[in-house]
Amino acid sequence: VAFAAARLLREGPRDYEVVESAETGLALLDHLEGFDQAVLLDAIFTGKHGPGTVLEFGPDDFKMAPAPSNHFAGLPEMIKLAQRLRMRFPKDLRILAMEVDNPIVFRQTLTPEARKALPAFVERARRLLSA
Amino acid sequence: MKTVISIDPITRLEGHGKIEVFLNDKGDVDRAYMQVPELRGFEVFSLGRPAEDMPQITSRICGVCPTAHHMAATKALDDLYKVEPASAGRKIRELVYNAFMLEDHAIHVYVLGGPDFIVGPDAPKELRNIVGVIGKVGLEVGKKVISMRRRIRELITYAGGKVIHPVLGLPGGVAKSISPDELPKFKELAKDGLEFAEFTLQVFRDIVLKNKAYVDLITSEAYTHKTYYMGMVDQDDRVNFYDGKLRVVTPEGKEHSKFDPRKYLDHIAEHVEPWSYIKFNYLKSVGWKGFTDGPDSGVYAVAPMARLNAAAGMATPKAQKAYEELFKTLGKPCHHTLATHWARVVEMIQAAERMVELVNDPEITSKDVRTIPTQKPTSGVGVVEAPRGTLFHHYETDERGILTKANLIVATQNNSARIAMSVDKAAKGLIKGGVVNDGLLNMVEMAFRAYDPCYGCATHTLPGTMPLVVSLRDASGRVLREIRR
Repeated sequence: VAFAAARLLREGPRDYEVVESAETGLALLDHLEGFDQAVLLDAIFTGKHGPGTVLEFGPDDFKMAPAPSNHFAGLPEMIKLAQRLRMRFPKDLRILAMEVDNPIVFRQTLTPEARKALPAFVERARRLLSA
Repeated sequence: MKTVISIDPITRLEGHGKIEVFLNDKGDVDRAYMQVPELRGFEVFSLGRPAEDMPQITSRICGVCPTAHHMAATKALDDLYKVEPASAGRKIRELVYNAFMLEDHAIHVYVLGGPDFIVGPDAPKELRNIVGVIGKVGLEVGKKVISMRRRIRELITYAGGKVIHPVLGLPGGVAKSISPDELPKFKELAKDGLEFAEFTLQVFRDIVLKNKAYVDLITSEAYTHKTYYMGMVDQDDRVNFYDGKLRVVTPEGKEHSKFDPRKYLDHIAEHVEPWSYIKFNYLKSVGWKGFTDGPDSGVYAVAPMARLNAAAGMATPKAQKAYEELFKTLGKPCHHTLATHWARVVEMIQAAERMVELVNDPEITSKDVRTIPTQKPTSGVGVVEAPRGTLFHHYETDERGILTKANLIVATQNNSARIAMSVDKAAKGLIKGGVVNDGLLNMVEMAFRAYDPCYGCATHTLPGTMPLVVSLRDASGRVLREIRR
C-alpha cells in the first residue's frame, strides 16, 4: 500500500523527494541520511484496527529488538545507530502506517479497504510533509 | 481483462523459530526440537513462468542475500541454455559476487556476530546489538563499517541496476559492462576493502582471541559437532565462492567426495520430519542416521567454517595466511560452530583480494560481456557459495523455456540437521530436573546465530520482539512453561 501511495505522492508539483524501497535494516540509513525531515509510509498489521485505518507514530513508539540476526534490524535500531554515529538523520521523522487486512497473503492489487483508504493516506502524508 | 491472483493460505516465510522441549519423568530433557513452521512456495509458484524470470523472482526470497539467489539462478540459466558465459561477463559476475560476500560477511561480523564476541557473551541484552558493538569498537570503526558497506552497495548497484534485487545476470553473461571511467573508483574500493578486511581480522584477534574466556567458549563441547563438511573448491581444492566443484570431507578431515554440482542429487538427499517444514539434508552415501554426528551419520555442514574445512586452502595469499593461523590455533578440521565467526573474517580477506585481482584485470572493462544462447533449454543447475553456505538452484523447462520443475536448496537447509543438534545439545545442558536456566535462550541463540539461519526475513513486528518461542513440555506433552522474547 505504501508503494501505491508513493506513486500518488509523485503526482503534481512537490518540494519533497519520494523513494520507494523494499529494504529494511542498514539500507534505511542510505535512504534517510542527509535529510532533516522524513515521512515513512508502510503497511501495518496490529489486528486492533479495521483495515484501512491510518496510524501515525513517532520514533519513540518503537523499541529496539534484542534479535539474533540482522534480518530483524529495523527502524529503531537504525535511529539509534545514526545517533551514535552522529549522522545527519531526520530530526523530524514520522511514520504513517495503514492497517491492512492480512499481510501474509500474496495479492497483485490492494484490498478494497486499502484502495478506499488510499487517498486519505496520501493526503495525510502530504500534510505532514508540508508542515 | 485484469486477472487478480490471491494465494492463500500462507506461502511466504513468516519468520519465527519455534523450539519444543520435551522432558522425561525426571524433568531432564528427552528431546528438543527446533521447528520452522513456515511454508515457502517459490518452487511451486514459479512453475509455468519463463525460466529467465528466475534471477529476478528468486532474489525476492531473501532481502539479506538477494545477490546469492540472483547469481545461482543466473548460473542455472547458463546450464539450462548450455551456454558458456563470455569471459568478461563471468569476471563482472565474480566481482559483484565477491563484493557482496565481503559486505555480507562484514555486516555479520560487526552487526550480527558482534554482540556475542565484540560486546561479549555475557553483556546485557540491551547492549547485544550493533549499537553495543559501536560502543565497544568506537565511533570511527562504526563509521568505517557503514561507509564500506555503502560503497560496496554502490558497486553492486552500478553493475546490477539495484542492490536489493539486481538485474545483472543473463544466460551467457551480464547485461552491462563496466565503463573504464568508473573503474578507478572500484579499484579504490577494492583496495580499501582489503585493508578493511585485514583490519577486521586484527579486531578479531584483539577482542576475541586475546580473551581466554571467549576462546574457551568457542572450543566448548556445547558448541561442537563432529560432522561432514561441504564447500565449493577450485581446481586446486581452494575455496571458491562463485564456481567449482563441491568437495565433502569426513569428520576426520579426509576427502569423502568431490563432484560436479550438476550431480548434486546423486550425493545429497533430504530427510523429512513431521514436526518441521524445513527438510534435513544428509549425504546419500552415508545415510540418514538421525540427529547425530560422527562418521556414520550423513549430517553435514556448510557455511564459512565448513568451507574452510572442506578446502585445502584459500585462493589468495593473505587469506591463506589467515586460514593457516585459524587451523594452527583450533586444529583441522575444526568442529566448533562458533569458530564460524573467525572463518567468516578469513573469507572476507579472500573476497577483498579477489576484488583487487578482478578490478586490475584488463578484461574487466571489455564490452564483450555476453554470449547469446542458441540451444534449446532442458535442465540446468546453478550453485554458488552463499555467505551462509552452498546454494543450489535446479530448473527444468519445456523447449520454450517455461519452467516445469524448480528445486532450490538454500544454505540453511544444508545446515538444518546440525542446527537442530545444537539446539538439542543446548537444551540438554541447561535444563535439569525441570528447572530452566535463564541462559537457555542466549545459548540457543548463540548456537544458531553462528550459522545465521535465514528463518526470519519477513518478520517485523511492532513491539520489536525476537520471535523465538521455547515451549517446555512434560513427559505427557503438557505445556509447563513458555519462554519468549
